[in-house]
Amino acid sequence: MLALLGAGFLGWSLGANDASNVFGSAVSSRMLRFRSAAVLAAVFVVLGAVLQGRAGIETLKGLTGMNLSQAIVSSWAAAVTVTVMTLLRLPVSTSQAVVGAIVGVGLMNRHMNLSGLGKVTACWFGTPLGGMIAAVIVFKVLGALYNRLEIDLFQSDAFLRGALVVAGSYGAYALGANNVANVTAVFVGAGYLSAFSATLIGGVSIALGILTFSRGVMETMGRKLIKLDPFSALVVVLAEAICVHLYTVIGVPVSTSQAVVGAIIGVGLVKGITTVSRRTLGHIFAAWFVTPVLGGLIAAVLHIAMHLRYVPAG
Amino acid sequence: MVMIRPVAVGVVHEFEGVMLKIFFKKEEELKALVYEYLKNVANIEAHFSKAMEIFLEQGMCDDCGFLTEQTHKHESRADDIREEINLLMYGKALIPESREDIMRLLEAVDEIPRRMELVLYMIQTQKLAVPDFIIPDTRELIQVSLQSCDLMAKQIDLMLRKKDGVKELMDTIDQNESHCDHIERRIISKVFDSNLDPFEKMQLKEMAVYLGEISDQADRVSKRVNIIAIKRRV
Repeated sequence: MLALLGAGFLGWSLGANDASNVFGSAVSSRMLRFRSAAVLAAVFVVLGAVLQGRAGIETLKGLTGMNLSQAIVSSWAAAVTVTVMTLLRLPVSTSQAVVGAIVGVGLMNRHMNLSGLGKVTACWFGTPLGGMIAAVIVFKVLGALYNRLEIDLFQSDAFLRGALVVAGSYGAYALGANNVANVTAVFVGAGYLSAFSATLIGGVSIALGILTFSRGVMETMGRKLIKLDPFSALVVVLAEAICVHLYTVIGVPVSTSQAVVGAIIGVGLVKGITTVSRRTLGHIFAAWFVTPVLGGLIAAVLHIAMHLRYVPAG
Repeated sequence: MVMIRPVAVGVVHEFEGVMLKIFFKKEEELKALVYEYLKNVANIEAHFSKAMEIFLEQGMCDDCGFLTEQTHKHESRADDIREEINLLMYGKALIPESREDIMRLLEAVDEIPRRMELVLYMIQTQKLAVPDFIIPDTRELIQVSLQSCDLMAKQIDLMLRKKDGVKELMDTIDQNESHCDHIERRIISKVFDSNLDPFEKMQLKEMAVYLGEISDQADRVSKRVNIIAIKRRV
């Protein structure tokens, strides 16, 4: 079990940080109590991980061949990358940190599946774009349906609140299904875990992060979405969930935060307003490059450190 | 078939109504309170209108005093309902944005009964007497102001039911407000052109200004309602 400590920490921090993307707006606006949101998110994350988490695991484990010690190195390297970047208040994507670490170990082994890596990086660039397209479509379709509803302002509020809970739960499901591979895929590749136990352990560690440490992030990060009107906030959560779920089907773990930014841009496009600053866009670009590079470097350093041998002088 | 269809439609509507009450219990409770508040404001307006009519015909009398007290009673009740609404909203009814909108809207509406009460108390406590030469204008000012209040209530109802026509009503209320401004200026000019005692002139000017503020406030409320309706458009 000690071998899984790094993975557990990674899953825990992923849950603590990324739950805000699905339930942040509902919690920070007090539409939903934190406890209810956290329980819903935890349940749906585990469900998503167990039911649909295997595709991402297959992709990540196929990037390079690893033994157990290399799997431990790569999971710790990713965990350290996420922690360092969070402490430095830099935007970070767990998916990119994990892939960076796997590539770092792969380069040390001189063994990389380049086509798999190409697919993964292409999907990173496509994540904000996917969030944006999904938001435009969801806004148009849901907006048309919403306008047809014969409900008054009071019922419309209850409808929006209910829809946000449903969309958040779906988002949590997609988060679990998509991101569980980041947590435990390397251990499946090393033959240490079966795919089922990897999805279960990964899902539970993400859920623990949500239940124990996501409150602060949910309340602060959710306020970014609350600047949007309630309907737009619903569109953003739903579009992010759809986008992340689609990448789950393709089998590539992506950043939920970047899908959210894409969705916010999409809402802005429909409404003809600027919703995302250049600085936020700059942060995404920075995260695309800095996170995997740092993950790879830390993995390489840890790999070298693991192979150092004490040679007595003389 | 022809006989069955209307019955079936009726049953479906009945079912929808029951389902809405189950799923939107707090919201239904809140809706009932908001409409009760608006009904209470309409009662205040009715009492104010009657009190002013009697005052303009007979001067301050017992009936007028009674109606003034009734206006005060309804105004206090309106405050109580508003408090209940706020408590219910902060007990998680409505989303935060709507809570703030409704709270601020009712605060703004509440200024209207407050001004009506102010006019009646002014007449009662300052033993005001309105000279004949400004009575027709004062009647017109009251009538147009109350018409604006009625339109404002209709506009709020349309906004709450998410129906069209909010902007059109705002335009009419805006026109009424300009009209009231003209009447108010006319009354003040007539008062100051007269040979009345300067102290009486000041009293009558104050009354005309307070009466004019009713349509001003209705106009402010209607603009707020229009913004709330625009914000909710998808």
